[in-house]
Amino acid sequence: MSRRLALTLAVLAVSLVSSRAPAAPPAEVVIGAVYPLSGNLAKVGNDIKDAIELAAELVNDDVDVPVPLGKGKGLPNLGGAKVRVVFADHQSSPEKGLSEAERLISQERVVAVMGSYNSNVTATASQAAERLKTPFLNADSTSPLLTSRGFRWFFRTTPTDDEFSENFFKFLGEMKKRGKTIKNVALFYENTLFGTDVSKFEKKYAQQYGYPIVADVAYDAKSTNLNAEIQRLKAASPDVLLQASYTNDAILSTKTMKELDFRPQAILAMDAGHVSSEYVPSLGKDAESVLSREVWALGLGAKKPIVRQVNELFRKKTQAARGQPIDMDGTSARAFVGMLVLADAINRAGSTDAEKIRAALESTDLPGDSLIMPWRGVKFDPKTHQNTLGSGILVQIQDGKYVVVYPFDLAAAEVRWPLATWGK
Amino acid sequence: MKIGIAAAVVVAVLLYPLVLRGPYPQHLMILVLLNALLGTAWNILGGFAGQISLGQATFFGAGAYTSTLLFQHAGVSPWVGLVAGAALAAALALAIGYPCFRLSGHYFAIATIAIGEIAGIAVTNWEFAGGAVGLFLPVEGEGMAAFKFGDKLGYYYVVAAFLALSVALAAWLRRGRAGYYWRAIREDQAAARSVGVPALRYKQLAIAISAALTAMAGTFYAQYLLFIDPPSVLPLSLSIQICLVAVLGGAGTLVGPLLGAAVLVPLSAATSVALGGSGRSLDLVVYGALIMVIAVFEPSGLVGIARRLRSRISTQR
Amino acid sequence: MIAQALVSGLLIGFVFALIAAGLTLIFGVMEIVNFAHGEFLMLSMYLSYFLHAGLGWDPIAALPVNAIALFALGVIVYYALIRRVLRAPMLAQVFATFGLGVFLQNAAQFLWRPDFRTLGNTWVTGRIALAGVYVSGPQLAAAGGAVVTTAGLWWLLSRTEIGRALLATAEDRQAASLMGINPDRMFALAWGLGAACVGVAGALLSTFYYVFPQVGGVFALIAFVAVALGGFGSVVGAFAGGVLIGVVESLAGVFIAPAVKNVFVFAIYLVVVLLRPRGLFGKL
Repeated sequence: MSRRLALTLAVLAVSLVSSRAPAAPPAEVVIGAVYPLSGNLAKVGNDIKDAIELAAELVNDDVDVPVPLGKGKGLPNLGGAKVRVVFADHQSSPEKGLSEAERLISQERVVAVMGSYNSNVTATASQAAERLKTPFLNADSTSPLLTSRGFRWFFRTTPTDDEFSENFFKFLGEMKKRGKTIKNVALFYENTLFGTDVSKFEKKYAQQYGYPIVADVAYDAKSTNLNAEIQRLKAASPDVLLQASYTNDAILSTKTMKELDFRPQAILAMDAGHVSSEYVPSLGKDAESVLSREVWALGLGAKKPIVRQVNELFRKKTQAARGQPIDMDGTSARAFVGMLVLADAINRAGSTDAEKIRAALESTDLPGDSLIMPWRGVKFDPKTHQNTLGSGILVQIQDGKYVVVYPFDLAAAEVRWPLATWGK
Repeated sequence: MKIGIAAAVVVAVLLYPLVLRGPYPQHLMILVLLNALLGTAWNILGGFAGQISLGQATFFGAGAYTSTLLFQHAGVSPWVGLVAGAALAAALALAIGYPCFRLSGHYFAIATIAIGEIAGIAVTNWEFAGGAVGLFLPVEGEGMAAFKFGDKLGYYYVVAAFLALSVALAAWLRRGRAGYYWRAIREDQAAARSVGVPALRYKQLAIAISAALTAMAGTFYAQYLLFIDPPSVLPLSLSIQICLVAVLGGAGTLVGPLLGAAVLVPLSAATSVALGGSGRSLDLVVYGALIMVIAVFEPSGLVGIARRLRSRISTQR
Repeated sequence: MIAQALVSGLLIGFVFALIAAGLTLIFGVMEIVNFAHGEFLMLSMYLSYFLHAGLGWDPIAALPVNAIALFALGVIVYYALIRRVLRAPMLAQVFATFGLGVFLQNAAQFLWRPDFRTLGNTWVTGRIALAGVYVSGPQLAAAGGAVVTTAGLWWLLSRTEIGRALLATAEDRQAASLMGINPDRMFALAWGLGAACVGVAGALLSTFYYVFPQVGGVFALIAFVAVALGGFGSVVGAFAGGVLIGVVESLAGVFIAPAVKNVFVFAIYLVVVLLRPRGLFGKL
């Protein structure tokens, strides 16, 4: 009896869910988005959510911003159809990522899916899309593995950790040319997928470019303290520290470095925590002069006015949604662009047919000046579906702001090198 | 009447995916069955023998990693990997049980947490097992022999069969001498020992069976998601969820874990569908509140509600 | 380097000890493990944050506010929830508090957003260098506060009338009630005191650790292990357990490998309880 009751309940729950899904009216194109909206990464997930919603608003409303589909209402080739985004929370779990992607595709009838920040969740969520033959656009997972799987329906706009890591060493080479003595590096990274993946490429390129690694310190991102880790680094006294951390640990490690008086010539961080909107406000002066690879910076606005324009809109949006204005960061900017790339493809497909959208994505060719990114544009490799026109930049925290310092032709300011001693 | 209900449930479970054909309702039911399987396995150790384990993820991970590594490095069929994983988990369980069964109550529970955490950290730092990056299984090559299916139906019936096997095994054990001894150990271990119950041996039996069944579920999970990494198969939260399913359903009873899974999984899915997209975690607020409500009003689990319903029906007759 | 590792480990260990003390007190009196303990810590840290951001109160000055507020929370939780599961099986009790933890953590995210918050400059800042060993001001203050509070708790339990009543209730509820002690009020007091301890810990932590809805989880797991390591119910044991974990974690991190430092924390627990099945100071 009870079992049957439970079963009926389960069926009821499911049918309730399915009755919510409207038969997609032609006036609307529904896109799914699977992100970590609760749990440890909730902050990042919510930034992404606001960015994607902003992009959808720019498509839907007639806004005078020179982004793709900014002018005019909706998607012109679909009779002005509006874009609606349905969000789902994967709580950083690969299983939930898979099931939520499936639910969005089969129940909510989304025509394409975006996701999922965490590389391991992107792995399973995109697999669901692959099986259900639905385009999946990834704007923010940098594990190189993802585009090596030969998937037909998976597309990635962001450059990968491989390219970013090499960029570090090119930069170090340039600095040497400018007369800095850089003899060795130390690696410091959190030990889940992101950090270990990054460290592998850093090791590869350190060897290739001839920098001995004097300390290789992996740490648990859930640590309550990083005293031991920083002591090890201090003992090795490297010239340059290559760090890969999420938000909590990025803040904690910087504080601990100050407490234990550890100061290399430079810290090169692999974005994530070091460019999260929390990092500078939490640390104030102690964040000064940290370098980070970035995919984006507000400072790009000096050369690209569109960046400032979009950021103003984002500040308004977050002010309305969360009560405080938040500046865009590398993650929200990539999500914003990802949404526009997808909308552009659907518009060119002129249809909500999955195969047509896929074909349109494959023929994507967006010029760099229509994007808020430093990229040369968006164009997918025909085999791997990795964006071939992406590139990274390096930013430095100067007077509390992220300033572009490399590549030199995009730079808004000179690199400050070495780091000032603590408290100065 | 009991047999009638059981038969009706079995038929309903078998027909379910044929009626609801979408991948999402099928996925949801696969999760229900998988959780019921895990809850049943936990129940043999925690419910029947009264040894609270909060480290079941260790065994789940052992199953998932054994079959996946065997396939990747030696091309061994996942079905063989399933058996190997179960055997390894059982051996591991015996090795854990031998020293740890000297501990009682919370000390044992925290020891299982400690072992689970150590296992998670160890695999994260173990390059050969994919480390933090995890392991991918190839998507292509579907079929029963490969333990890989293009649609959900295959997975559905496989996990249903696993569950049926575990429930049958649990029922059989409970009815026999083992069940009798376990009850004695659970109620009062010292008293049980004094009347000649070989407590350690029977606790070892419970943990070995529990571990083997949990490892089977782990292999299933790996084949189903085709991707495993430490945070998805070895976290403390999984161990707690397994325990939660069994306890909220009704620890120590046969139907408890089934009931727990059938209610908890759709409940968490429904709250997350209705409220999760908001990004404000309202779904988990509701979920936490419901757990408290059940603990307060049905401390012996959902099975208590079912029993009361049944007794009301039978008194009416 | 050994000196630095030891000092760092000791300082954080004292804070672990204080968090563990509150947990072990509740367990000692009524044999219930509070799985929402980490969330109590989180609430206290938010309280410090809001007092600092809104009213400009320094977390150290506002310490009594945290203690009183958390004491009240503990008492409310006892009367609203725990009293109803007193006679329920141990597992139902575990899940009542576990559910409370899930509820509080996500309610915090709902109300205050997932953002990380830090207090900025408080009274205690900077660092002290002594013979090559660096000690951060906030951590030193936190460690000092933790030692004082734990000592105070120990004094309360062993040297005062009310403490004896608490311990008597822990020993034998029925005998205690025959002696005119109301066990119900003692249980409420235990919850109040346990929560107040973690309230103090939260205020101290907020001077150097950031505040976010999931912050409790990291510390709670360590506190559980510390409590079990020292022996459930023993305040001295929880103190020893917390300090031992802090030092082991620090030494293993510096001299072995940071990524696996927690393996040693859990391993030391296993070793201790296998030798002494009821922890270092547990009643045998």
